[in-house]
Amino acid sequence: MKPSDKGEGLNRREFLSSATAAGVAAVSLTKGGQASAEEAVEPMAAVPTAAQLAMEYEDPAGYSAEEFGDYFVKRAGSDFMVDVIQSLDFEYVTANPGSSFRGLHESIVNYGGNKGPELLTCPHEEQAVAMAHGYAKVAGKPLAVLAHGTVGFQHAAMAVYNAWCDRAPMVILGGNHYDATERRPGVEWAHSAQDAAVVVRDYVKWDDTPQSLQHFSESMVRAYKIATTPPMGPVVVMLDGHLQESEVGDQALRIPAMTPTRRPVGDAGAILEAARWLVEAESPVIVADWMAHDQEGMDRLVALAEALQAPVVNLRGRLNFPNTHHLSQGRGQVARADVILGLELNDPWGVVNTLQDRVHRTEQRIARPDVHVISIGVNDLFMKSNYQNFQRYYAADLSIAGDAQATLPSLTEAVQRQMSRARRRANSDREQRFRTAHAKRRAQALDAARYAWDASPVSTARLYMDLLALVKDKDWAMVSEDRQQNSWGRRLWPMEKHYQYIGGSGGAGIGYGAPAAVGAALAHRAEGRLAINVQRDGDMMYVPGVFWTAAHHQIPLLTVTHNNRGYHQEFMHLQRMASRRQRGIDGSSLVGNALRDPEPNLAQIAAGMGCWSEGPITEPGDVGRAIKRALDVVDNGEPALVDVVCQPR
Amino acid sequence: MRVPLFLSSCVVAICFILVSITVFAEESDQSEMDGRELYMSYQCWQCHGYEGQGGAAARVASTVYPFEAFARFVRHPNLMPAYTPKMLSDEKLRRIYDYVRSIPEPPPLEDIPALRDN
Repeated sequence: MKPSDKGEGLNRREFLSSATAAGVAAVSLTKGGQASAEEAVEPMAAVPTAAQLAMEYEDPAGYSAEEFGDYFVKRAGSDFMVDVIQSLDFEYVTANPGSSFRGLHESIVNYGGNKGPELLTCPHEEQAVAMAHGYAKVAGKPLAVLAHGTVGFQHAAMAVYNAWCDRAPMVILGGNHYDATERRPGVEWAHSAQDAAVVVRDYVKWDDTPQSLQHFSESMVRAYKIATTPPMGPVVVMLDGHLQESEVGDQALRIPAMTPTRRPVGDAGAILEAARWLVEAESPVIVADWMAHDQEGMDRLVALAEALQAPVVNLRGRLNFPNTHHLSQGRGQVARADVILGLELNDPWGVVNTLQDRVHRTEQRIARPDVHVISIGVNDLFMKSNYQNFQRYYAADLSIAGDAQATLPSLTEAVQRQMSRARRRANSDREQRFRTAHAKRRAQALDAARYAWDASPVSTARLYMDLLALVKDKDWAMVSEDRQQNSWGRRLWPMEKHYQYIGGSGGAGIGYGAPAAVGAALAHRAEGRLAINVQRDGDMMYVPGVFWTAAHHQIPLLTVTHNNRGYHQEFMHLQRMASRRQRGIDGSSLVGNALRDPEPNLAQIAAGMGCWSEGPITEPGDVGRAIKRALDVVDNGEPALVDVVCQPR
Repeated sequence: MRVPLFLSSCVVAICFILVSITVFAEESDQSEMDGRELYMSYQCWQCHGYEGQGGAAARVASTVYPFEAFARFVRHPNLMPAYTPKMLSDEKLRRIYDYVRSIPEPPPLEDIPALRDN
């Protein structure tokens, strides 16, 4: 829609509401609501009500000019900030309230009408960021997060690190007071920093500290663009308190276009070379980690794997490949491979090697010594120094810089072109072999799930299968990671859609689980899907306030706890240390790791947050009935939690 | 201030007796434990599950390995921590082995609808 389509009377707000993220061209604003544009697109933000417009433009009567200037602001800087934010595709902004961004907070609610973005109340900044993290992995786009630049960023930091490691985009807006002469004594000083973003700079893609509203406008659009360009990640834009609260005055402000960066495709010559290696291989194996951005990515990988009849090993980053497909295989395939195609691997060294957890950490080769490794991914395009999540260096035989999902079509096409008839015949032999192996893996998983079936505490396999029996006919999506639950979800549940599994925290920072699940559930709500969170007890103890957020904002989410009464991974670490030192192997590992005496009542915690709950349940026969009751609540648009006391893994 | 030698010797002796009694009591308690109690006390459940079904490590329930092979896994493991005879005697290990070997087989797949039908 172009402004001229709406006639001469188009006011500033109406015009701004028509500026959106993708493909928007430059927009110019001048005092008095005159607007012009080189190009505009469809409306996104809500048009303000007549009352809002009246409040915005009418001066209150009975005040001298001097008094007026002291009491009132006609058009606050943060109103323009909202214009900028609304020009981008933010549905929500998560925030724990903070005075350093009170100006923007008020503008979002009253000027922006609390829509596009809608503000979601969060009792902790770690929660606010982790919600954005979970949301981004489902919605495929970022949320905005508001936080104090000092104490808020300190609270948020761990969750930002997880998002960084997990390539999750988000735009974090930090409040701060830069001009010392404008700070009120006390808290405003305590909540100000010279360089507020430094707290998280090591693990965000980019940050900026705008000095003017125009600077904010350009930085905000740039921030969105950087966050959503692979490798995606969090970015930070600081908000000066004075800038938010001051009068815009007669500044001519403009919002630049947000032109999405096309995902980079690997070098054409290198792709032909990779295709040749794969076609000629006797045992090609594909290993995928952070590969699929969406369903299209999964479909593309299926096409490549079928063209080669190559097994796919799906690591934990994202759901890249349907686990019901006969080419979905386990990591054991790596040992047989003569060519490995790594797609968005963060740790290729760890795919072909391992390091034993012993006093002397000796390397062990997993892959064949003569294996050729092809790597396609964006990791080499962007990296930072301090935090070591980039893993050990591995010299791939052919390293292609490019987004793997974007590169797959040309690779698949090259493979199909180079495939001889003889190779196609050999591939059909492979197909039968992998069908047999896939069926065997499935049978082994089902057989293993029988053990401890009737045990109390409840077996984790049974927890997953009783749950599946109740949700299998719904459009479900798992929003939790199952690695600490013996991977029962991915071993037993049929996962064929990209959104049905979103990987883990990235940085293994505990406390991600519950808030990321709520954020993911928020994105699923718009699609009418049933979001399912198998929640670890230790993780839930970090930011349980997120269940209040879910209840308050009516975010439907079924949470079933895997409550093993402790930080179980650490039990095992302590036991290993005690064994290594020949002491205390009969129980010392419980100290500092067990969540007992008293045992946290997770159902009561959730209930205290306004969330329907039931439990603790210890008998396996009671689990299904409780989940059924919880599903009724979730179907009604509310969150519900069933606390199940489980086996360790 | 110097403590008289006799007095300090008495304190040391009393402490030694108390510690000995405690250690003996624990040893005595563990000596009377059956295989399941030892399995729980020595934290086998952490990786192998309360019922030996496996989890972070392999299933041990209804093991078909002979004791010698089972003991070799425990004494000279590949992945798990090594449990020496000093920390877990052969006799106690044998009781644990007898326990995990005795864990009954679970119901067959056909009798578990949630596994059979999904």
